[in-house]
Amino acid sequence: MSSRKDQNAAARMVREQIAREQRRKRTMWISIAAVSALVIAGLIGWAIYAGGKTTDYTAPKGANSAGTGIVSGTGPVVVDEYVDYLCPHCKSFHDEAAASIQQLANDGKITLVTHPVAYLDGASTNRYSTRASAAAGCAAEYGKFTEYTDTLFQNQPAEGGAGPSDDDLIVFGRQVGLGEDFAQCVKDKRFINWTNHVSEEAGRAGVSGTPTVMVNGKPVQASSTAIAAAVAAAAGTTTPSAGTS
Amino acid sequence: MTWHRVQPWVSLAARLGLGGIFVTAGWLKVTDLAASGRAVNAYQIMPYDLAMVIGAAQPFVEIVVGLLLLFGLATRLAAWAGAVMMVAFIAGIASAWSRGLNIDCGCFSKGGPLPPGVTPNYLPDILRDVAFLAMAIFLIIYPVSRFSLDARLDRPSAALAPDDVLEEENSEQPSERRRQRL
Repeated sequence: MSSRKDQNAAARMVREQIAREQRRKRTMWISIAAVSALVIAGLIGWAIYAGGKTTDYTAPKGANSAGTGIVSGTGPVVVDEYVDYLCPHCKSFHDEAAASIQQLANDGKITLVTHPVAYLDGASTNRYSTRASAAAGCAAEYGKFTEYTDTLFQNQPAEGGAGPSDDDLIVFGRQVGLGEDFAQCVKDKRFINWTNHVSEEAGRAGVSGTPTVMVNGKPVQASSTAIAAAVAAAAGTTTPSAGTS
Repeated sequence: MTWHRVQPWVSLAARLGLGGIFVTAGWLKVTDLAASGRAVNAYQIMPYDLAMVIGAAQPFVEIVVGLLLLFGLATRLAAWAGAVMMVAFIAGIASAWSRGLNIDCGCFSKGGPLPPGVTPNYLPDILRDVAFLAMAIFLIIYPVSRFSLDARLDRPSAALAPDDVLEEENSEQPSERRRQRL
C-alpha cells in the first residue's frame, strides 16, 4: 500500500517535471517568435521606407544644379527657404516676407532658392503637400513658379482634411496664366519624384520643420527683418563670388 | 494575500495602458515614415541615413510591442522591449535638452491625441516617459496578469497531464471544461 503511494508520488513528480519542461520550451518558443516579430516589423518599416525612396527624378527648369529647389535671382548671398504649401506658418511667413525677399533677389543682392518640401503629407488625407509641390514644379517648368506659389498660399487648405485636388491645382494654374501643357504635367504627376528628392535632401540638410530659412547655409529666423539683417551681414563679410554653390 | 489577488489586475492595467500607448504612438507615425525619420534626425544623434532607417522601423516595432502587451503574449519580453525604448527616448530628449536643441520632440506622434511634444516641453515629455518606464518595469517584475494569452497557453498543459483533482471529479465536467478551452 505504502509502496503504491510512493509510486504515485514518483509518477506525479515525473509528470510535473515533464510539464515544467514543456512550459519552459513553450516560453522559449514564444520568446523566439516574439523577438522575430519585432525584428521582422523593423525590417518591414525599413523596406517600405527604402522602397519609397526615389533616386530617379527630373528637376524642372529653373532648379539649382543639385535639383533641390527653384532659383530666383543671381545675387552673391544665397538664401534657402524651405516651405511646405500646407504649413500654416509657411503661409504667414510667405504673406509677411515673400515680397521683400523677392525684392532682394530682383535687386541682385541674393540668390533665392525655394525648396517646396512635402513634410506634411500626414496632415492631409490626399497627400496635398506632395501634389502641391509637384504642381509647383510644373509651374516652374513653364516659368511661373513665383506666381503659382503665391496662388497656392492664397488658397491654402486647413490641415487635417482633404486638400485641393489635382483638378483644383490645375485651375489655380490657369488663374496665373498657365496653360494646357501645365495641366498635362500635373495630370502626369511628372515632378512627384522631384518633390521626393527635394524633401529627402532638405532632411539631409538638417531641415526638420517648415518654414526654415538659411542665409549662406546658416539658419535664420523666418522673418523679413531677420533675413534682411543676415543678408546685409553676409554681404559685408563675403566676396561677391563666394556663397553660391 | 490581498497583494497576491490585486497584482494580476494591476499588471493587466499596466499591460493594457502601455500596450495602448505603444500601438497608438506607432499607428500615428506609420502613415508617414519619412516624417518619423526626420523626427529622429532632428535629435542630431546619428547620421541622417541611419536616423531615417530607425525612424522607419520604429513605428512598426512600437505597434508589435503594443500588440504583444495588449494580448499578454510574451509579456515580460515585450515589457523589456518597451522599457529599453523608453530609456532610449528619455536619453534622447535629455540629450536634446542639454544641447539646447529647439526641436519638436515628435516622440509620440505628429499631432495626435497623445502628447505631441511642442517645442520647450522637454520636462513633461521626460516625466511622461518615466511614468511609462515605471509601468514597463512593473510588468518585468510582475508579468502575470489577468486575461493574458500567456496564462491561457499555460493552462492546457495542466489538462494534458491529468492530475488527481481531475480523477476525483465526475467524468462529464472535465471534458466539458476541456472543450471550452479548445
